[in-house]
Amino acid sequence: MQIDLKNLTIEKAHESLTKGEFTVRELVNAYLEVIKKKNGEINAYLEIYNNIDEQIKKAEEMFKNETATILTGIPISVKDNILVEGQIASASSKILGNHRAVYDSFVIEKLKKHGVIFLGRTNMDEFAMGSSTQTSAYGVTRNPLDITRVPGGSSGGPAASVAGDMALVALGTETCGSVRQPGAFCGLVGLKPTYGGVSRSGIISMGSSLDQVGPLVKNVNDAEILFNAISGFDSKDSTSIPNEKRNIEKTFKKRIAVPREFLNGEGIDKEVLENFEESCEKLRKAGYEVVDVSLSAIKLSLAVYYIIMPAEVSSNLARYDGIRYGEQVKGDKLLDVYKKSRGNGFGKESRRRILLGTYILSHGYYDAYYNTAIKARNIIRKELNDLFKNFDAFITPTVPFLPFKLGEKLDDPLSMYLCDIFSAPANLADIPSIAIPSGKSKSNLPFSIQFTAPHLREDILFTIGKDFEKLV
Amino acid sequence: MNLEDIKKLAELARIDITEEEMAEIAKSFGSILEYVGQVQEINKMQGVEMKNKEDFFLHNVMRDDVVTNESGFYREKVISEMPESENEYLKVKQIL
Repeated sequence: MQIDLKNLTIEKAHESLTKGEFTVRELVNAYLEVIKKKNGEINAYLEIYNNIDEQIKKAEEMFKNETATILTGIPISVKDNILVEGQIASASSKILGNHRAVYDSFVIEKLKKHGVIFLGRTNMDEFAMGSSTQTSAYGVTRNPLDITRVPGGSSGGPAASVAGDMALVALGTETCGSVRQPGAFCGLVGLKPTYGGVSRSGIISMGSSLDQVGPLVKNVNDAEILFNAISGFDSKDSTSIPNEKRNIEKTFKKRIAVPREFLNGEGIDKEVLENFEESCEKLRKAGYEVVDVSLSAIKLSLAVYYIIMPAEVSSNLARYDGIRYGEQVKGDKLLDVYKKSRGNGFGKESRRRILLGTYILSHGYYDAYYNTAIKARNIIRKELNDLFKNFDAFITPTVPFLPFKLGEKLDDPLSMYLCDIFSAPANLADIPSIAIPSGKSKSNLPFSIQFTAPHLREDILFTIGKDFEKLV
Repeated sequence: MNLEDIKKLAELARIDITEEEMAEIAKSFGSILEYVGQVQEINKMQGVEMKNKEDFFLHNVMRDDVVTNESGFYREKVISEMPESENEYLKVKQIL
């Protein structure tokens, strides 16, 4: 039978698999066929795993002996910085080359128990540094909605795999918008969970105080299902939130804040702002109170982020020296091996950010940059915590502009960094945030709106998100 | 930021970079550092009081100092990832 992949969701697929309308093998084959046809052009996947047959058998067995869950047999793509035991994990960098994961990341371990089907690993900006998937060492990924445009990044491969019907759902990661922004550019839902909600064990680190794994999916319900499956305490991640601390009081006021001054910055598309105002109006009509608020520290978020992140990047990427794993370039002395392996193995943007972090953390500048940024980060957290005493969430556009053309912004790093302006508060404040499609532009490109909620209150994002989906 | 500064940073970060790229990095640092310099405004801002310990959002996480993996559990896999090894040892250039 012909499976309608375009409109397929986790729930629908599960129902069909349970009723026997199609089998796991038929479902997986339908995706593999699309991959065969489209991936050459889109470059969402870097590799299709060679053990899919084995995975299918395991999932079909689970249906037979009635141990199947809602995720059993669901085809999923995996970002290239998430470890799957025995498979290559390169963070789309030459310095890792054909490095094979020695163990499963926490999220993969959890999903394996459900018998999901991991189709393959997907392209990304090198070490997740970028907003357009153009800094990958393995070529750019194209946006399936318009192949002359970028899919966003750094989780551009995962997003393109779902938007191009090459996977039902995808796992991405974000440090500052790298799930939500490609979600926006590819017309998908992208969720950044609470920091500590999903374990970072087995995720190749970029900015350790900011990184989180998140789902890229077609609707809010799928995001909720996948989030529930991958979240939970993990003793291997010291920042993982203990289960007993996850049970918090859950109030819901139906009140959403609009941080007005934050939206008045430079470089925000008129069309994007118009769509944003329309979305707020729709929510009002649906019975939400949507109110302008005045916040002061939040507008410094991106500046704070571009200090803390490179500082953490320069520390985290110090481990890649060509000695213990990855690609080594020979040299006369040990120091030459380091310098050559790192010079050759890291791409341009990684080199830039390592140097930027080295500068920010160097003697004489540490106080002016890093310490001031840490202070500002705490003030932003406090400002948002105070806001949430009166509101369930705050709302902004996900990205200040529509998907741009391939090649654009590559020569101007600062203008690329500005993609993340609305993403930064959630990562800095450790709080959950979701990007949801909010219509199409005149040029038929996707708009997206973003809701950000208090610590551990993903439930608010799912409730508002499902309401909002009905209004678009 | 001049070429010499970038050279020093590349030395500290142990990365070989061409002069051409150093010049490009020096140029981009100008606009990036100017942008992130905004963060100084936080020192002038008023309204958010940072008084209590909870306002600083940090706490220590400890675990028992015990062995969690069976000895040698990952040995083979880890060794197979090494660019150069000899008799189960990592091989590196002479240091002294």
